[in-house]
Amino acid sequence: MRKKSLFSRLALGTAAACILLPVCLLVFWSVTARWSWPSLLPERWSLRTLRELFFGSQNLWQLLGSSVALGGAAAAVSTAIGLFAARAVALYDFPGKSLVRFAWLLPLLVPGPVFAVGIHLTLLRIGLADTISGVLLVHVTASLPYSAAILTDVTAALGGGLEEQAALLGANPVQAFFAGSLPGLMPGILSSLSMSFILSYSQYFTTLIVGGGRVKTLALTLVPYIQGGDRSLASSYALAFTGSALLVFVVFEAFIHRGRKGDGGI
Amino acid sequence: MKKLLAFILALGMVLALAACSGKDGQPASLSSASWEEIVDAAKGTTVTFYGWGGDEDRNNWLASVAAPYMKEHYDITLEVVGMNIDEILAKLAGEKEAGSASGSIDMIWINGENFYSAKENGLLYGAFLDKLPNTEAYIDTQDPETLNDFCMPIEGYEAPYGKAQLVLYNDSAVTPETPSSAQELLSYCQQYPGRVTYPALPDFTGSAFVRNIIYEICGWEQFQTMEADYDTVKSAVEPALDYLRSLNPYLWNQGRTFPDSSTTVDAMFADGELVMGMSYSPYGVSVGIENGVYTDTTRTFLFENGTIGNTNYMSIAFNAPNPAGAMVVINAMISAQLQLSQYEKLRNLPVVSPEKLSAEEKAAFDAVDMGEGVLSQDELLAHRLPEMPAKLVPVIEEIWLNEVVGK
Repeated sequence: MRKKSLFSRLALGTAAACILLPVCLLVFWSVTARWSWPSLLPERWSLRTLRELFFGSQNLWQLLGSSVALGGAAAAVSTAIGLFAARAVALYDFPGKSLVRFAWLLPLLVPGPVFAVGIHLTLLRIGLADTISGVLLVHVTASLPYSAAILTDVTAALGGGLEEQAALLGANPVQAFFAGSLPGLMPGILSSLSMSFILSYSQYFTTLIVGGGRVKTLALTLVPYIQGGDRSLASSYALAFTGSALLVFVVFEAFIHRGRKGDGGI
Repeated sequence: MKKLLAFILALGMVLALAACSGKDGQPASLSSASWEEIVDAAKGTTVTFYGWGGDEDRNNWLASVAAPYMKEHYDITLEVVGMNIDEILAKLAGEKEAGSASGSIDMIWINGENFYSAKENGLLYGAFLDKLPNTEAYIDTQDPETLNDFCMPIEGYEAPYGKAQLVLYNDSAVTPETPSSAQELLSYCQQYPGRVTYPALPDFTGSAFVRNIIYEICGWEQFQTMEADYDTVKSAVEPALDYLRSLNPYLWNQGRTFPDSSTTVDAMFADGELVMGMSYSPYGVSVGIENGVYTDTTRTFLFENGTIGNTNYMSIAFNAPNPAGAMVVINAMISAQLQLSQYEKLRNLPVVSPEKLSAEEKAAFDAVDMGEGVLSQDELLAHRLPEMPAKLVPVIEEIWLNEVVGK
């Protein structure tokens, strides 16, 4: 037992280091002007990029607001559709079921840029190109395979038993779902929300092509600075990007915790 | 299913109509409108300007100088959208294929091969340069460099925005020499083996550097009228290929691989991994010194026989929703005032002709402090060579890949 705990601690420590060390490097680079070999620490520090981040040409708060709103909406829509799809596949039998399961994985099979350019033409024809609705639609398409897959597993594991029980006790289908299945599905719903949020939040090429640059997100501002080679500025933006995504996860987590406490836990 | 499709299509049409209704009040035909009518029509509208968004200083300048200027003088809202030129052209080509009469892009920042392909594929609005009053007022309309973008006649399809010129830079505290010719560069590389390289083609700067080497070895005149044929070009540049291959053993990683982009080369120089770099921004070194990225002893230099310079331009998209507004903005961009501001804040070589400036304007340009480690405008322009025809550029890039890398 002791040995296993040592091993798991080691594994945990390695994993944590792999995640935290690059973040530390980002923190350093965001305030670095020049850091040349073989200096251990930067030779010249500078607050230039933080000034640019907070007071520069882009309005950071507006960018954060629109990115989080878009990601949140994509997460909600994708999870809702995923939940319905999962129930259909996990709890019912119908002809062509395996075809449906395959069909929702299709967006994963097509490379992102190909998908973006192709869907752009279609959205142009129906007038949704360069609009938020168009971008939302494309983000949902990108995250739906993950939502559906996560929720199908959870729904199948939980089964329809609790709802049947509730129905026997006189609950209508809606009551039966909310009181019977939903609490048990919550962990899966949280995973689906987080997954679709981060997928939407980090979309670059699809947002760029479908949104035509008119729909502005943090990722859209961040990538040109990375390509432009300004390491300090890219680091500042990357920190803002990672930090804000983490913050949203914390909020999701808090919601679920409160929800579970309210239900008395399962 | 059919009903659903019909509904979606109908919805699309309604949305498209709603999108179109925003551009009332434009003159029916811009080509016959007077300048006053165009300025009037542009009042209260929004103009979108699409171009590369990776330069923090330019983004800031557009947001804090150009946009307020347009608002104040013409009541135009200038919306700047950062997008790579490849993606802009892909988007326009898609819109063209979909038959979209009204797009979302008004102005584009463009030049060279991209201008060539955009013009060939009908992605541009058409001739407008002669309509702008500031063309006559500030631009030298006889200057072949302005009239030809990589040897492609611009025919009024685009207006000059700024000038670039290839420069070399190194740190006098690390290497006292400044190689002023291809031959001196070879001995410089031999002296500092493994610490010089250039960006892999088709990087913009790497490609210009190789063309500059070709000019050094083979002269520049013959290329101005050369056919874009692989074998013709290859036999013409053979001596330069020999030179580049002789350089390889002394380059970073023995010339087996090259850094992916000019920004990587800049970063490798800043990190001390390289002793020399090259840039298309002639005043990039002074900006680097001010930001603390480069050491104070970094300085710019040129080849004695000159380096390639080119002009970058602003054009209008074929389906621009607001061409009148775009013309007004472009006209303002080539005014002495905004060119001076670009020169001051962005250290961008201006496109206005010195002969057409008033004494005051000329004094204002001369008074600009270009910072440390750079060359004067006169020095740069005295060592400026014209670009090759745009069609030769991809051919040379292919030849380089086949004949130089790892050879």
